Amino acid sequence: MRLQNYGFRNFVGCGFGILLPMSGPVCLLHCRKMVGLSLGEKHFIKGGIDQNIRSDGRKRDYYRPIFVETGVIPQANGSARVRMGATEVIASVKAELGKPSALHPDKGKVVIFVDCSAVAEPTFEGRGGEELSAELSVALERCLLGGTSGAGAGIDLTSLIVAEGKICWDLYIDSLVISSDGNLLDALGASIKAALANTAIPKVNISAAASADEQPEVDISDEEFLQFDTSAVPVIITLTQVGRHYIVDATSEEESHMSSAVSISVNRKGHVCGLTKRGGEGLDPSVVSDMISVAQHLSELLMSRLDSEISAAEAEIGDDEES
Amino acid sequence: MANFSTGDRKRKPKGDRRSTEISLVIRQTMEACILTHLMPRSQIDIYVQVLQADGGTRSACINAATLALADAGIPMRDLVTSCSSGYLNSTPLLDLNYLEDSAGGPDVTVGFLPKLDRVTLLQMDAKLPVDIVENVMQLAIEGCKAIATYIREVLLENTKQLEYRRGL
Repeated sequence: MRLQNYGFRNFVGCGFGILLPMSGPVCLLHCRKMVGLSLGEKHFIKGGIDQNIRSDGRKRDYYRPIFVETGVIPQANGSARVRMGATEVIASVKAELGKPSALHPDKGKVVIFVDCSAVAEPTFEGRGGEELSAELSVALERCLLGGTSGAGAGIDLTSLIVAEGKICWDLYIDSLVISSDGNLLDALGASIKAALANTAIPKVNISAAASADEQPEVDISDEEFLQFDTSAVPVIITLTQVGRHYIVDATSEEESHMSSAVSISVNRKGHVCGLTKRGGEGLDPSVVSDMISVAQHLSELLMSRLDSEISAAEAEIGDDEES
Repeated sequence: MANFSTGDRKRKPKGDRRSTEISLVIRQTMEACILTHLMPRSQIDIYVQVLQADGGTRSACINAATLALADAGIPMRDLVTSCSSGYLNSTPLLDLNYLEDSAGGPDVTVGFLPKLDRVTLLQMDAKLPVDIVENVMQLAIEGCKAIATYIREVLLENTKQLEYRRGL
């Protein structure tokens, strides 16, 4: 008998709450986790970053070890689980038939939704994680789906159309944050990319000879599937500024000291697909340009690493199916 | 329960009726067996995240909660295990999946304390003849005992690993 053990957090606390003082400008988003660090620890983290050695030994531009597993949710069209250090997220893609919007009759629809599980942080229970979920969902949509006109989308929406103006595929991308140790946006971006690579959309046969205002009959194939094309899907790189330097892939400890963070999504060609700045501190425009070029450089490494992880994960599924 | 856990995508991952009911059931089952008097002025939060729901969801949640509590070292009277059973085609069936559950037969969920030999949770829906109820419930209890044995093995294995890592 096989038991499914879903990761748990047990929290034994006292009846009264403890408020910890925070020093330095910290944006509201990251106040969600009151990291109780002493002054000495804070100086240690900041000093380490200044000298290009972070608390876990990484340099400023190193990512934590990334693990990708695809096909974790059999009921979904595509799914993936990504672990970056202690941050763990699961993304699933479900495709349903729907009607394209009147403004874009030749495009399908994609909806991205992020849910922060209470298992990651006790404060996410009930409605506690709503603000963060909303912020992450919108940031992901901005990075992956392009503008309101649909221009510049990382996901090709025209490939989701079945019958122009009448039937299209609606992709629902749902992400779940299981464990939160900083750098959620990058992990979510990577998980969505992996889930899309794992997505198989069933082939639809439309019965011909339907008049212009009738809904045509559809026959969804159970056998034939089309693998989703993810060559244009960008990766998201978040650069967190702590003190005078910026680091990539910050842990939640490091994030609690950040003055600002810029998340940049870059695609395979090195084009910037979306940009989000968070945090209260203002940034000099030259710093932002520098961050963009750093992100472009790092995106090549991250993209190739993710690609190799994803293909390894997909190959594993292929082996399992054959054996 | 996650958005993607059920066959049709759910819109609200939190606060829906089913999640609230399952939370209540887990809480009542656990309250009965945790030795809360040993931890005064403390609050124990148990968070369960369902990734895939394919029948027997509340049983899986209770078993997972038991394992997590044991892993956390929280004193309990006994390991609570849970299993579901049903009755289709005149046959008692153990651990129904979603398809079997939606076939229209009854679904009996049992929460059991194996050492104390006591039933703490008993839920059933749909109809079942009175003489068959005993059989179906007994089958679920057997399932619970088997799960309890397995849970105990897993916990022992885990403790051995911890001992090994600590160099004992």
